Formats: sequence, C-alpha cells, structure tokens
Amino acid sequence: MNDIRSGDAMLTDWREAAGRFERAVRGAVVGQDRAIRLLTIALFARGHVLLEGDVGVGKTTLLRAVARALGGAYERIEGTVDMMPSDLIYHTYLANDGRPRVEPGPVLRQSEDLSIFFFNEINRARPQVHSLLLRLMAERSLTAFNREYRFPNLQVFADRNRVEREETFELPAAARDRFLMEIGLEAPRDAEARRALVFDPRFHDTDALIAGIESGVLDHAAMAGIGAAIQHGIQASPAIETYVVALWEALVRPHEAGIRLPGIDMSALIQGGASPRGVAFLVRAARVRAWLEGRDWLVPEDIRAIFPEVMAHRVFLEPIYEMRRSTIVPELCRAVFDTVPAP
Amino acid sequence: MRRLAPLLFLLCSSLAAHSQVRTVEVRTPRPFGYFLGDLVRAQIDIVVEPGFALQAASLPQPGAITYWLDLRTVAVTQDSVSGGSRVRLDLTYQNFYAALDARALEIPGFVVTFVSDTDKGATTAKAQIPPWSFNISPLREVQPPAREDPRTYLRPDGRVASLDTQPLVVGGAGFAAMAVLAFAGLAWDRTWWPFAKRGGRAFAACLRRLRALAERGEDEAAYETALLALHRALDETDGRRVLADDLPAFLTRHPAYARERASLAAFLDASRHSFFGPGPAAAMRRLPLADIVVLTRKLTAIERES
Repeated sequence: MNDIRSGDAMLTDWREAAGRFERAVRGAVVGQDRAIRLLTIALFARGHVLLEGDVGVGKTTLLRAVARALGGAYERIEGTVDMMPSDLIYHTYLANDGRPRVEPGPVLRQSEDLSIFFFNEINRARPQVHSLLLRLMAERSLTAFNREYRFPNLQVFADRNRVEREETFELPAAARDRFLMEIGLEAPRDAEARRALVFDPRFHDTDALIAGIESGVLDHAAMAGIGAAIQHGIQASPAIETYVVALWEALVRPHEAGIRLPGIDMSALIQGGASPRGVAFLVRAARVRAWLEGRDWLVPEDIRAIFPEVMAHRVFLEPIYEMRRSTIVPELCRAVFDTVPAP
Repeated sequence: MRRLAPLLFLLCSSLAAHSQVRTVEVRTPRPFGYFLGDLVRAQIDIVVEPGFALQAASLPQPGAITYWLDLRTVAVTQDSVSGGSRVRLDLTYQNFYAALDARALEIPGFVVTFVSDTDKGATTAKAQIPPWSFNISPLREVQPPAREDPRTYLRPDGRVASLDTQPLVVGGAGFAAMAVLAFAGLAWDRTWWPFAKRGGRAFAACLRRLRALAERGEDEAAYETALLALHRALDETDGRRVLADDLPAFLTRHPAYARERASLAAFLDASRHSFFGPGPAAAMRRLPLADIVVLTRKLTAIERES
C-alpha cells in the first residue's frame, strides 16, 4: 500500500516537473503549444520523434530548446549526401604525429550518457545511414570497436524538410516505423506570435534564446524509470482496448468499416502499415497524455489527441494515392474517429 | 224657458266641445273568426281641430284590460288632413277568452284627451272612443260525435319531406380522413408506430429504448446499455462520434441543445467513468439511470422543436 502511494506521489511530482518543462520550452518557442505538448509526451513515452515542416519554421530551434530543457548529453549531426554510417560512429583524422587515428564519432563520443541525438535534415542522408539508425533507435545499442555500446537514455530527434525532393532520400518504412511520432510543424497562425517572431530581437539570436532556457528541468537519467512507471500506473479498461483495436481495424481496412472518402476507392487505398508496434506506441503515448491530464485511466480523447502524429506515417497508401498523402491521411484519420463508436 | 237655459248651455258647450273633435272612426280588419290567443287589431282615426295635440297620458296603457283581454301595443301617428289634424291609433289586443261557443265580445271604449295651448290658456277636448265587438269561436267542437276508436280523434301526422343524409355522410367521411391524416402527421412527428424507424429523431428512438430499460430495473448492464443508447443518439444527431471533450464543439454546431449543457456534461462524465474509469457502479452514483431518462426526454423535446 505504501509503495503504491509513494508511486502516486512520484507521478504527481513528475507531472508538475513536466508542466515546468513545457513552460520553459514555451518561453523560447512561441505559437507551437501543440508540438511542445507532443514532444513532452514523446519524451515520457521514451519515443523517437521526427519533425517535419517548411524551412525556417523553428524545427531545429524547438529540438534544441527541448534538449536544453531536458539536460543530459546532446549530440547533433547534419545529414548530407556523402555521409556514410561510419561517419556517425568513427571520427578518423591524421594526428600531429602524422599517423591516422580513429576515435569515437558523434554517437559514441558521449557514450552511454547520450540522452538526445539530434539528426538534422535526415532525408539528405543516404539509406545506409538510415539503416544504421534502425538498430540505434529500436535497440538503443551499437557495435563499434569490437564491443557493444548501450544508450539507455537515448532519444533520437530528427527533422526533415518537406519542400525539397532533389538529392534527398525517402526514409525506409522500417525506419519511419521506429519513430514514435512524426510531428508536422507549421509557422504559427496567431498574429501576436507572428509579430513577436518577426520583430522581437530575442527571437533573432537562436543561441542566446536557447541559452536563456532553464537547463535540466527534468532529470534525464530518471526518464526511463518514470516512463515505465507511467505505463504501469495508467489503467486501460476493456472498453478502451476494444476501441483501440476497432480504430486499428478501421484504419487498415477502411472500406469494411464503412468509411467513404470522396473520389477515392477505399478498398484500394491502403497498401499496408499500421504495425502492431505502431499501435503499441499509440497506447504508450496515450497513457502519457492521460497522465499529463491528471487521470490514471485512459479515455478515447487521449488516443485521438496523438493519433495523427503516431499513426499517420505508419500507413502506406497505394502508389496512385501516395502523392496526395498529405490530404488523404488526415481525412482518413478524421473519418476513422467519426466512424468508430466510443465507447 | 228658464228651465231650458242651462240645458241649452250644456248642449252648446257640448256642441262646441264636440266640434273640436270632428270625427272618430274605428276600423277593424274583420269582426269574426277569432280564436283563443289571437291578436285583435284596431285602427282608430280621430280628426281634431288644428292646434289640438294628443295628450299621451290619456292613452290606454298596454297591459291587462280585463281578465280575458290584454292590450299589447299602442302606436300613435299624427298627420294633417284638410282643415284639421288626424291622429291615428294602432291598437293590438290579444284575446284570452276560451270560448265554448261562438259569441260576440265587446272591447270597451275609452276616452282620449286633446290639448290646445294658446296665449289665452289651455283648451282641452275629449274624444270618446266607442266600444266595438268581435266574434270569437271555440277551438274545438263542444260535443264531438262519439266514435268507436278514440284514436280516430287523432289526426294523422303531417307529412315531412325526408332529409337527404348523403352530404352529412360525405362530410363526416371527409373529416374522418382529415383526422386520420392529422394523426398520421403527429405520429410521424413524434416517431410513433409505424414511423418509429424513421431517421432524424435519434433522441426519440433513444427515449423509447431507455424507458424499456428503466422498466427492467437498474442493474449495471442496463445502465451501460442506456449510456450507449444515448451515445448513439448523440452520434447520429451530430453525424460523427461525440466524445466528452467534443461537447463545446457539438453545442456550437447544435446551439438548441445548449440549455442542457450541464446535463450533457454530467452524462459524458458519467459515461467516461463507467466505460473507461472506475466502472458503472461509480458512474451510477454520479448520474442515476432515471436522470439519463429525464435528460433524454428534454433532448427529445428540443429535437422536436428544432
């Protein structure tokens, strides 16, 4: 009994810390409250995040702000066409004595303390690099220098520019499936936030802006433990289990669920995807949201709040519809929630 | 001669007085053929000297004159004729004499007074209306001949034209058809049988289900079924699934239901607790089944109005 109560108290304390974390990030990144909330959920769900958006909307700033507020070791790398997997692991150079040296690269440098690995412009890197990320993201481990490195606290944040398609490489489905969320970032619509972003000199110097954030609001070393405590502490009733399975079924087989979208042959829309891992991620993230909302049981709203970001990128459309993905998938998600009864 | 003088004076004075009233004439339509209850009319023309006017107080007053005779109305008209003015009295009597045989009855005469106002004083003249008589007859034979069968005294009923019932039947059928149509319209509006399955009245259909559930008693299964029924009605009304957090958006799309905002919020909260939280027992303490029925009844009323 005492254990449970102390666990509850711990979750409450951490909920307050999460609130402080969100406020700290919100101080530097204006008009992105939803993205910040989703990133917070991803942090406590221990999931990797892919940010997607136009140029200059603040993808990198947001991720740097999150990394700063979270604390812990932080590494960053820019994706380029000529980058090879070994560039991530090894740093090779000629030393002063003229002999070649091989030292740990960006991923290994901080070793096991690495909490955030930030991959900028991930779609500019070659598929070989993406493949390396598969194991790093899924197992949080890597083999180098003939030994295995483990990164228990690692979270991979990546961002991707969605405007250019020249000299870019689409992420393989397996790599995309390992991201917990794909968050689309738009410039803020709110006129007040836009004015501030354009005229307030505070937002022009990104380094000073990031340095102004209180560092280490959350204890990054304890994140894995608290994430597990949340997953055990939030109850899912049989009704919500039925609901999630029905959502899954409707997403994969929309025509059988009676979903109709104008101008689309529903029976030939979905090629595959929506993996069990994806749905498990969905419930993980939903539990974190329920915890952030101060509940210890899941409700359908928790699922709905994170569904597009968690599930949309795991659905693979037939090639004929793939080009219109950005309009079809949000509509499909909305239709799924309009159709599946809850409770 | 000395004894004659006063008589002469009287005669002269009476002649003088009579000459002021020139003629009195009584006209009756007929002097016979009256029965019990008949009206007897008389027209009396009195011609007087110019300047004389009838003194209204001297006219006989309508009312009972004798036990068998009533005066019903008295009407006076006055016009001028050559060398005098004529006063015409139209009298209507009613006879109440129940005669057993034919006999003559006399309507008594009376006196009316005329007045002439001059500078030298007022002169009055009296006109004597003489009595007149009329014959009345009994209503029935006094001694009818005896007959074998007393029923033969009765006269046959008068023949009456038979009424045509066709328009009444047609009219009745027409109104009955209109009543059936109006009732069908009401049933359609209220989604009574046979329109129970029609769309657009989600809450009405839900209310029927809830009433059936409420009769079965309050157990947890029935409670959850009731919650689900109201959820489906909300979903059907909105055309999408309405979750607890969607209530403000739902009320924006359907502002008529805004006056049940608090009750709807309580329902969604109870549903959340029942299905996803502590369970139906806790939810039933928050919102009993009876309250859900009351809420659904109000929603049904709003649904009908809007």
